[in-house]
Amino acid sequence: MEKIIEVMNLTKKYKDLKAIDHLSFDVYKGEILGLLGPNGSGKSTTINCILSLLKFNEGNITIFGKEMTPDSYETKSKIGVVFQEVAVLEELTVYENIDYFCGLYIKDKTARKNYVNEAIHLVGLEDFKKFKPKQLSGGLLRRLNIACGVAHKPSLIFLDEPTVAVDPQSRNNILDGIKTLRDQGATIVYTTHYMEEVEILCDRIIIIDKGNIIAQGTKQELKDLTGIEEKVTVEIDNLEPNKIEDIKKLDNVKEVNYNNNTLLITYKNGKSNFGNLLHYLNKENLVYNKIYSERPTLNDVFLELTGKELRD
Amino acid sequence: MFFHNFKYTLKSLFKNKSLIFWAYAFPIILCTFFNLAFSNIENSEKLNIIDIGIVENKYFQEDTVIKETFTKLSDKNNKDQLFNITYTSLEEVASLLNNDKITGYLILTEDSNKVVIKNNGINETILKYVTEEIFQTKELITNLATNTIKEEIQNGNYPIDYEKIYQGVFDIIQNQEVKINDISNKNLSYTMIEYYTLIAMSCLYGALLAFTAINRTLANMSHTGKRVSASPVKKWKLILSSLLASYVVQLIGITLLLLYTIFVIHVDYGTQILPIISLILLGSAAGLSLGVVISTAFKISENSKTGIVIGFTMLGVFLSGMMGITMKYIIDVNIPIVNILNPANMITDGFYALYYYTNTDRYFFNIISLAIFSFIMIIISSFLLRRQKYDSI
Repeated sequence: MEKIIEVMNLTKKYKDLKAIDHLSFDVYKGEILGLLGPNGSGKSTTINCILSLLKFNEGNITIFGKEMTPDSYETKSKIGVVFQEVAVLEELTVYENIDYFCGLYIKDKTARKNYVNEAIHLVGLEDFKKFKPKQLSGGLLRRLNIACGVAHKPSLIFLDEPTVAVDPQSRNNILDGIKTLRDQGATIVYTTHYMEEVEILCDRIIIIDKGNIIAQGTKQELKDLTGIEEKVTVEIDNLEPNKIEDIKKLDNVKEVNYNNNTLLITYKNGKSNFGNLLHYLNKENLVYNKIYSERPTLNDVFLELTGKELRD
Repeated sequence: MFFHNFKYTLKSLFKNKSLIFWAYAFPIILCTFFNLAFSNIENSEKLNIIDIGIVENKYFQEDTVIKETFTKLSDKNNKDQLFNITYTSLEEVASLLNNDKITGYLILTEDSNKVVIKNNGINETILKYVTEEIFQTKELITNLATNTIKEEIQNGNYPIDYEKIYQGVFDIIQNQEVKINDISNKNLSYTMIEYYTLIAMSCLYGALLAFTAINRTLANMSHTGKRVSASPVKKWKLILSSLLASYVVQLIGITLLLLYTIFVIHVDYGTQILPIISLILLGSAAGLSLGVVISTAFKISENSKTGIVIGFTMLGVFLSGMMGITMKYIIDVNIPIVNILNPANMITDGFYALYYYTNTDRYFFNIISLAIFSFIMIIISSFLLRRQKYDSI
C-alpha cells in the first residue's frame, strides 16, 4: 500500500511539557485514519506539526514521499485542512468564503465556480449561499468550515474534530460528506474524541494519550486487545450477594459489578453467554426490569489501556 | 493568487462595519464636531489684536531684525495687524502684565531674548510662537553671515565677498518677511491645526486596517491565518496583497475626509497639491507599517490591538495639537523629542509647514521623518514576519 504520510519519532515540547513524545505512524492511500484521544492528548498538535505550522523538537515528516516544510507548496496544493476552530471570514457570505479559500488553490475561475458549487452541495448549504457566517447556526457553520477546507478537492484531507458541538442532523450530514470524500479517493486523517464517529468512519485507528500512541490497528484489532467479548447489563432490584457469586461462576464471566440496582457482567469470550445468563435468571425466578447486551467499545479499549475514560 | 487575495481582502475590509466606522465615519464625525465647536471661537478670536509689551532698551533698539518685524506686525494700517505694542520700561511692562493689561512682554538682554507671560492661553501661545520664529530666523541670519565670512577667510579669499553674504542674508530676510506676513491675523487660524491632526489621525488609523488584514494571514494570530498558511500561497504574496488592499481602503477614507473638509467645512489647505498628496501617501504608509508591527509583535486579541492603535493614535494627535495648538507648542518647546518621534506630529507639522512656510525645509524634515519611521516599522515587521513555523499557535 502506498504511504501518503510518514511520521517518524515526532516530538514536540512546550517548555518542559512533552505534548508529543516520539510519535511514529503511517497513513496509507485511500484510508480514513482516526486519531482518537481525549482533549489535550496531542491530536491537534500532531496535525499542526505535520502541516509544518508548528516547530517540533525531533522527528521527520514526509508527505507524498517528500519532506514537509513551510515551502512545500506543491505538497500543500494537494492538502485540505479543516481545523477544529471555525476559520472563515465574518464579512463574506457562504459562497464568497468558499470561493476565497478555494481560490488559494484553484486559479481558473470557471473550474473554481464548479468546485465551490460542488462543495456547497457536499455539505448541504445550497439554501444558505448568501448568508453570512453570523446568520448560520453552529452546525451550519461547521459545515461551512468543512466546505472551505475541501472545496479544492484535495487528495489528502485533515479533519480536526469537525463535529464538535454540532446538532445530530449536521453531524450526520458531515459524516456522510466525509464518506463521500473517501469514496472520491481522498485519504483522510480524522481526529476526534467521539469514539462513535471513529467506529463508523475509520479504517484504522490510532489511540493517543499524553502525546503517546497507546494502541493502533483496525477497530477489531483494538477490541481484541481488551480481551472483552461482550458486556451484559441487567437492571434488577435488590439482588442478593449469593446470587452475584453464582453469576460470577457462569462460563466466560470475567467481572461482575452491582451498583445502584444495575448489574454489569463482562465476558472474556465464548458463545451463548447471554442465553446462559437468561437461563440462570429464569431458573432462580429473578425479576429484572431491563436486560441488554453490548459489544466492547473503543472506550473500553481506552479504559483497559489507561485506566480512565476517553472523555475524562 | 495576488489579485484574488487583494480582491477578497478589499471586500472584507469594506464590509467590516467596525473598521469602516473608525477609518471613515469617526474622522468625519469628529471634523463636524470641531467645526461646530470652534467656528464661533475662531470668528471672535480673529477680531482680537493681542496687546503686548516690549522693554525699550538699547538691545532692542540695536536689533534691527526684531525691531522691524514687530513694527510690521503692529502696524495699525495693516488690516492683518497681529499685535498692539506698548514700548516702555521693564517695571512698566511688568506692572501691565500683572494687571492683565497685556498678554506678555518681550525683553532683549545681552545674553538672551525672552518672552514673559503670566497665563496659558491662545494669545500667549501665539505670542510665544511668533517670537520664537523671529528669534530663530534672526539666529539663522547671524550664523549665515558669520559662517560665510569664516569660510571666505579659510578659503583665503581676500577681500571678502560682502556682496555674496549680503545676498544670502537678503534672501533669508525676504523669506522671513513672507513667513511673517503669513503668520498674520488673517491666516493664523486656531482650528487649522485641528483639521491637520484629523488627517494625521485618519492616516494612522490605517494601522487598524493593516493589522486586521495581516492578522488573517498569520497562523499564530487567527484561525483563518492557520488555514491560509496551510495553503500553497507564498507568504509575501499574501502579506503584500493584503497590505495593498488596506492601503487602497485607507486612501479612499482620507480622500473622503479631505473632500468633506474642503467642500463642507471649507478648510483651505493651500495650493500645494502634490506635497499634500505626498504627505498623505507617506503618512498612510506610516500608519500601515505601524499596523503591521502591532499585528506581528503582540499576540493578543483583535479588540486589544484595536485599543492599542486607537490609544496610540489619539495620544499622538493630542500631543500634536488636536485639542489646541497650545499642547503642540508646549511639547515642541519643552520635550521636542516626543513630537520628533510622534508620527501624528510629523503629519500635522508637515501640513503646518506647507501652509505657513514658503521655505520647504520643515516640510521635508517631516517627510523624511515619516519615511524613516515607516522604514523602521517595516524592518521590525519583516523580522517578525520571517517566521513560517511557530512555537505555539
